[in-house]
Amino acid sequence: MKAHFTKTLLEVRDLEVSFKGIKTITALSGISFSIGESETLALVGETGCGKSVVAHAIVRLLPPESRVKGIVELVGKSLLELSEKEIAKIRGKEIGIVFQNPSLALNPVYSIGHQLAEPLRVHRKEKKKEAISKAATVLKNMGFVNVAEWISYYPSWCSGGMNQRFLIAASTMLDPILLIADEPGKGLDRKCITELEIELKKLKGEKKTAMLLISHDLGFVQRLADRVAVMYAGEVVELAESSIFFERPLHPYSKGLLNSLPENGFVPIPGFSPPLSDPPSGCKFHPRCSLRKKSCTERHPELKEIDERSVRCFLYP
Amino acid sequence: MLSPGKYVFREISLEIRPGKTFGLMGLSGEGKSTLGRVIAGLEKPTAGSIYYNCLPLSGMKKTEHAAFRRRVQIMFQDPMDAFNPRKKIGHSVSEVLTLLKVPKVKHTLKTEEMIITAGLPKEVLSRYPSQLSGGQLQRLALGRILLLSPEYIILDEPTSALDVSVQAHILHMLRKAQAERNTGYLLISHDESVIRFMSDSCGVLENGQLKLID
Repeated sequence: MKAHFTKTLLEVRDLEVSFKGIKTITALSGISFSIGESETLALVGETGCGKSVVAHAIVRLLPPESRVKGIVELVGKSLLELSEKEIAKIRGKEIGIVFQNPSLALNPVYSIGHQLAEPLRVHRKEKKKEAISKAATVLKNMGFVNVAEWISYYPSWCSGGMNQRFLIAASTMLDPILLIADEPGKGLDRKCITELEIELKKLKGEKKTAMLLISHDLGFVQRLADRVAVMYAGEVVELAESSIFFERPLHPYSKGLLNSLPENGFVPIPGFSPPLSDPPSGCKFHPRCSLRKKSCTERHPELKEIDERSVRCFLYP
Repeated sequence: MLSPGKYVFREISLEIRPGKTFGLMGLSGEGKSTLGRVIAGLEKPTAGSIYYNCLPLSGMKKTEHAAFRRRVQIMFQDPMDAFNPRKKIGHSVSEVLTLLKVPKVKHTLKTEEMIITAGLPKEVLSRYPSQLSGGQLQRLALGRILLLSPEYIILDEPTSALDVSVQAHILHMLRKAQAERNTGYLLISHDESVIRFMSDSCGVLENGQLKLID
């Protein structure tokens, strides 16, 4: 399913990632999606389904034992074929990344100002003083008061929410065309999540930054995403426009996810995700699916387009 | 960091009753986890007392304190922190049984019972924590706590690191365990919907004060 937006910014086609160990584990198979200019695509799904692997594969931050196949193109440039030097120039400049845990992503021994100035110093070779002054301006524009004080602070002096805002500032310092936000709200309280949401909405609205938003917070996704891709056991099982998806999910797993929400009474999906080292035959969701048929255990369903959305289920031929 | 004379919270009074859940909400940094640790006896309060079955913690004899530590358990946010990453799950569970002085011959039986309680297949016992998902580990963490037959469990953000479907699993497992064992819970969470779903009574920790809410 193609992005409805004018121009495709990121194209991911048949992405496959495996990890070589005692046994080769296929973490992702046949992942295909695109993100249009200023579009937000959300990847949702249970822990371990491969959402973060997709993000890391795009920016080539996977460990050396990984094998990546497929096509990842950013404005027509094949990211998987670039040299290490070339991809390093794209990371942070054209693609900004906000990692899950701000306390791990920020360096504890450097001040906030130093870390915010880093992208300007690395990519634009700006002098430290100038870069810090620009970083201060960015914080001011983000609505921070007492900026001089904030830039002298260290990450351990700040709350998780505040550090997450600094990370967003650092990741968007060079106005990337795409921001990858990997569980940006994880572990944050409601107030911090609201602050984060405002920040991301501002980026969407004012800077027209496209986003790949990875989150397990479906409320957060509903409020921010234009389209939603649901992942299960390393593959996309449904891809639809956000409003359509939340109103009428098609895949039994998507329905289960929405039933687990508080407003629907915390109804859990029976069973567990299969280990990637030993996925079930046929449809990977069939052991947990109440609607499974014999064919579900034998054949693997393809992702098929139905009424402007894609779904991987035999219920929708 | 607090300056001398400053406090995280003060004049907090609350009761946790068997078979009931007290929900504690509040923003990050308000001291919810600190209050949980104080109640579990892991931190000493500057002033005031924690009473367990009418006995103040500060006046307990060594044996009474040991019994208290067994009867009042704490479950943390990140289940990865609850297991030794270099030991298989079976070993981490066995350790608890050794502490409980359960004869070695009964370890397999007890461990399998625990796995059934956690709703997991036996194979997980031969896995390392890194080979399991967050939801499976949190179920195991709860199952291991239940082996100790605690009267009370301090649940410190038990589902905030988990996704929605796994969260629903853990909440149902907690409710089932409470109904079967009459365990009292102090549930710490910043998620109001989780607190409303689980709690009999609740309060918000704000500016160092506990405000009870209906």
